[in-house]
Amino acid sequence: MTTAEISEKYGLSKEELFAHVDNNEEEAERITAPRYSYWHSVFRVFFRKKINVVILVLLGIMIVFTYIYPAVTTYDKYANISDSLSKHLGPAAAMEYFGASIHWIFGSGSSGQSTFDAVWYGARISVSLAFICAAINMTIGIVVGALWGFSKRVDNIMIPIYNIVGNIPYVLLISVLVMLFTPSFWTMVFALTITGWIGIASFLRTQVIIIRDREYNLASKCLGTSTFKIAIKNILPFMTSVIVTQAATEIPSYISYEVFLAYIGMGISDMSLGRLIYEAETAMVTPGWEMEFWCPVAVVSFITIVLYVVGQNLGDATDPRTHM
Amino acid sequence: MAKYLIKRIVTGLLSVIAVVAIVMILIYSLMDRQLIFSMDSVFTKTSNNSRTVYMYQKWEEYGYLDYVTYSDYINQLYKDGEIDDETRDSIKTIGRTEDADSELVAEYVAKFTEYYESQGYTVQRLKAITTGNKIVTGGNQQLFAYKDIPVIQRLWTYLTSIITFDNIHTVEDDVGERGLTFTLYDPVYGGEKFSPAIIGNGTLHKYLLYFDDQFPYIHQNFVSINLGVSYTVNQGIDVTTTMTQAQGSYVKTTTIYPSGLVEESADDLHTATYVSGSKDASLVYVTRYTDDYTNTITRKSGMSKMGYSFVIGILATIMAYALGIPLGILMAQHKDGFIDKLGSLYIIFMIAVPSLAYIFIFKSIGGKLGFPTTFIVDSATPMYYVLPIVSLALPSVASLMKWLRRYMIDQMNSDYVKFARAGGLSEGEIFRGHILKNAVIPIIHGIPGSILGALTGAIITERVYSVPGTGNLLITAINKYDNSVIVGVTLFYALLSVVSLILGDILMSAVDPRISFTTKAR
Repeated sequence: MTTAEISEKYGLSKEELFAHVDNNEEEAERITAPRYSYWHSVFRVFFRKKINVVILVLLGIMIVFTYIYPAVTTYDKYANISDSLSKHLGPAAAMEYFGASIHWIFGSGSSGQSTFDAVWYGARISVSLAFICAAINMTIGIVVGALWGFSKRVDNIMIPIYNIVGNIPYVLLISVLVMLFTPSFWTMVFALTITGWIGIASFLRTQVIIIRDREYNLASKCLGTSTFKIAIKNILPFMTSVIVTQAATEIPSYISYEVFLAYIGMGISDMSLGRLIYEAETAMVTPGWEMEFWCPVAVVSFITIVLYVVGQNLGDATDPRTHM
Repeated sequence: MAKYLIKRIVTGLLSVIAVVAIVMILIYSLMDRQLIFSMDSVFTKTSNNSRTVYMYQKWEEYGYLDYVTYSDYINQLYKDGEIDDETRDSIKTIGRTEDADSELVAEYVAKFTEYYESQGYTVQRLKAITTGNKIVTGGNQQLFAYKDIPVIQRLWTYLTSIITFDNIHTVEDDVGERGLTFTLYDPVYGGEKFSPAIIGNGTLHKYLLYFDDQFPYIHQNFVSINLGVSYTVNQGIDVTTTMTQAQGSYVKTTTIYPSGLVEESADDLHTATYVSGSKDASLVYVTRYTDDYTNTITRKSGMSKMGYSFVIGILATIMAYALGIPLGILMAQHKDGFIDKLGSLYIIFMIAVPSLAYIFIFKSIGGKLGFPTTFIVDSATPMYYVLPIVSLALPSVASLMKWLRRYMIDQMNSDYVKFARAGGLSEGEIFRGHILKNAVIPIIHGIPGSILGALTGAIITERVYSVPGTGNLLITAINKYDNSVIVGVTLFYALLSVVSLILGDILMSAVDPRISFTTKAR
């Protein structure tokens, strides 16, 4: 029987049948394992999802408006303070009054300032605060968490510290620190980072403990691999995805925290997004002025969602188990 | 198990004490004391020496230091019988300067200085501020001693006075025959209705045990908990009372006073406490009472701060579990399907967006739908609770969905599930009987935490809907520099979090027999 007859008789496709292959010396010398590069695979997996491209574009827009837009425009909150007609205008009225430009698409605020400019100037402060706090907390948290997970002695010291620090009301700690110093940007960074790292450290400790005692690490240890090498080569790749996912929740949470603190009147003195929302709260209940309140709320939601989604999807892509 | 639990409770209590100590250091030692005067109108009105004295008086009231004036000292000496009337009158005013003191005054000033300096106080004498021969406003001469209270001493006095037992020797005055009387017919109800009560004389509270129509119907005053007396938030009232006292408008009922006077009044006679010499100080009291047990709490129509927070919190918790668990299961069952994607979108929104933003969004949507958005204590119908409960429940729904989905998907790949499937069980049986049982264990761990957490209230939700709950107490106390309230509230929060962790572990080991705390972990 020929191949064609067999496939017809049993209903099998050609690929499922054995076929004769000639001996090929050159081909036999080649190693067929696909080349694997970690970061290459990360980007391959990340861009496999089309939604990620959209999200990245949104992230780009967000960064342009948060960092480049305030740098190239000048914004003076009190420029129109003496012009009583310019205050609390809706977008359409503001465009008519000042002429159509990007500054007035959100209308004007209580001192006749552009809400759009105010929002992005505030976003620059809030986003910077979030990135700086996340960078400090993540660095300290990862180093301490790794040591905490590996060493039993550190564990015995850290557990009671964690129990105590975790029970101090965060609001109290921050407000005392804000009262101690002036409520400036760096005070807020200090207040958010003085105990903020301990949560990340404890989270990472659990992850390290889960991975540390896996069989492949025991095998590696039996074969004589040094602890340092195990930490770098065996455990760190697993930690990368955990760390990126954690960062994805941390960064938006600092923005949320700043908004919350400003709302209860314990925020920083700079016009951050939180403070904008806090000061515009009365405008929310006044008919016709709602834009002043909802615009910063919408922008802060946009920023946090974009940062969160990018981080989560990057976290998924950095997990080596998704690289298959 | 018992040994393990005792160890957990002891370490938990130790960490609570450490938290209280840290908070005390933060607010009493690190914070600038001058800040309490920033909004004080009296402070700005006083000047010169009287401003200094005012500052020390306030600092004593806020609990920063111990402050004794020269006249306090002289009065104490007089009370103790060490000096007579005549000497007191001749030494009670000190000279404008030290050189202007008479010989006798100088002697007592030296005694005062010596006595307090030996106890670690700092003695300060302020010279009179004069223009020509006249003393300027607030420029009177002053002599006083002060001492900062050390943290250890502060912590010790605080911790030892948290629980007090009322006994018949509490009142120092002469109150006649001290003792407890047991009656089957409570005099508050006219002495005819059957209602057992224990009445004390010489105790702080008049009624030590009684029944009434308020939950939990039987009340006791033998043991009372003092978390710290408020100074600015609710002056002179303990934190425990601030949190548990009813709010709203007065509820008047026909009250039969001990003197036999019948009047429409909101006084709750069961809550009467002893105030020395109070009866004769007021004509109203003379007609009402027969002894000095005159300080009563008034009946009010609303619930307490804790009551509102707890009702809203507990209903929100029930709603969160009732919605979150089925939705989480649904998401896991349809992994990567439409429901899963929709659910994930919701989860992303709730986690990423600042809570303030979505609570305002709920508020404006709810307001458009016709729900009341501002809580009014006196006219609170069930409708008023809807928006706060929903705003509080929806974020917990998101986090429950997220974790339940995660745990269930993790379980779906395990060997016992494959085995069950190979054994021929239906997908429904596998989900309900196998996967769900294992996946809810970590969720169950959080239940005591969410129930007890309802007592602490929710800061933003209560503020946005103006619910008079406990959530804002800490922030109000911080803004008003009410140090003892800050300490009391912190202690309460820390205790709740320690207790809920332990309860969560017990509940988890009760649900899952594989988890045991008796054998040591690897």
